[in-house]
Amino acid sequence: MAIKYIYGVVPSTAELPTQPGISGAQLELISADGVAALASDAPDGDLVMGRHAMTTHARVLEAAHALGTVLPMRFGVVMDDESQVVDRLLGAHHDDLLAQLEQFGGKAELKLRATYEEEPMLREVVREDQDVARLRDSLRGAPEEATYYGRIQLGELVSRSIERKRERDAVSIMETLAPLALAVEQMPPPHERVVLSASFLVEQTKLDEFDVAVDRVGETQAGRMRFKYTGPLPPHSFVQLPAES
Amino acid sequence: MSTTSLSRGGGGNSYVSRSSSSGLYDVLDLILDKGLVIDVFLRVSLVGIELLTVDARIVIASVDTYLRFAEAVNRLDLGNSQGEGLPDLMQDMTEGGASSKTKGVLEGAKEKIFGGDDDDESNDKDEDSGSSSSSGPSSRRSSSSRSGSGSGSRSRARSSSRGRSSSS
Repeated sequence: MAIKYIYGVVPSTAELPTQPGISGAQLELISADGVAALASDAPDGDLVMGRHAMTTHARVLEAAHALGTVLPMRFGVVMDDESQVVDRLLGAHHDDLLAQLEQFGGKAELKLRATYEEEPMLREVVREDQDVARLRDSLRGAPEEATYYGRIQLGELVSRSIERKRERDAVSIMETLAPLALAVEQMPPPHERVVLSASFLVEQTKLDEFDVAVDRVGETQAGRMRFKYTGPLPPHSFVQLPAES
Repeated sequence: MSTTSLSRGGGGNSYVSRSSSSGLYDVLDLILDKGLVIDVFLRVSLVGIELLTVDARIVIASVDTYLRFAEAVNRLDLGNSQGEGLPDLMQDMTEGGASSKTKGVLEGAKEKIFGGDDDDESNDKDEDSGSSSSSGPSSRRSSSSRSGSGSGSRSRARSSSRGRSSSS
């Protein structure tokens, strides 16, 4: 029997996306008692998967999400054969999976990342933080070698100032958007100019409303921040299984 | 299969860059860190991940970061709050010979050390444009690799998922 790569869990009545899976393998449903694994045959032996496989994983899940409810698996879950899928995934977690299929029906994940524009951000810092402005002025024009520690101190002040600014701005954005979502998952900012990186679980019927709110935030922050808005996606950030005992 | 429009909701503005399926980069953290997982079965070796995640790594405040901030703050010209005005002024100075008055405002501190000749100004200009373009790519990376095959319209997703979840 073939090794199975698992994309996610769907109701056993789900429609199969028409595209091919990883390595061009045909997608299939492995069903047991109302729940099904969306899977495809994986090549035997050591599996090495790269960018293309990850893209396929994401696209298959999006297609499944467009057709119905899907609980996404993390990238890279492989099981030895069909019976293992039935026993260890669908059987062992049957009630959890069924409950989450119910819970996430008609809902989508929207991902938003807000990033400061560097120059306006720094201008604000110098304007608002007198310590920064003072130290900056005292260092300006002095030779680099003579101001090494001064510049480190200046940078540290700037960094703290950005931190405080980010906290304020993140709270203000969340206050606008969080009430429109059923659940929120905030990720740590991947670099210092990221104000906010968050996923929102939103009713499909409320997506338009959420879009408008994001647009409004974008307008309010015009010139200060840029936004990257991705979705609707399957609820990656909100599904979970209890740890295996 | 229908494609999700990139400018959903009728509105949309240039500050919010949006996409539905988007490039891998936008969902990479989700598919690698989120979702259902049964630990013993997570056993695919990954290649090329480093390349993709290197700029998604958290930058912890460090001396390098501080020096970079200090440099960036020092480079700011606060006398000119309209960022767009600066290149024009610079150009005027390089092309038509610098008016000493403008130079006094813009380049006062610099002049003391470097003498404020034209070479310096064009170097400065290069640096400025370099820094503003380097702040760009993190935010608008998606959607180019997008294909229509993976996405469905929102209304379709809604109606079919409703039907399915209640029938299961």
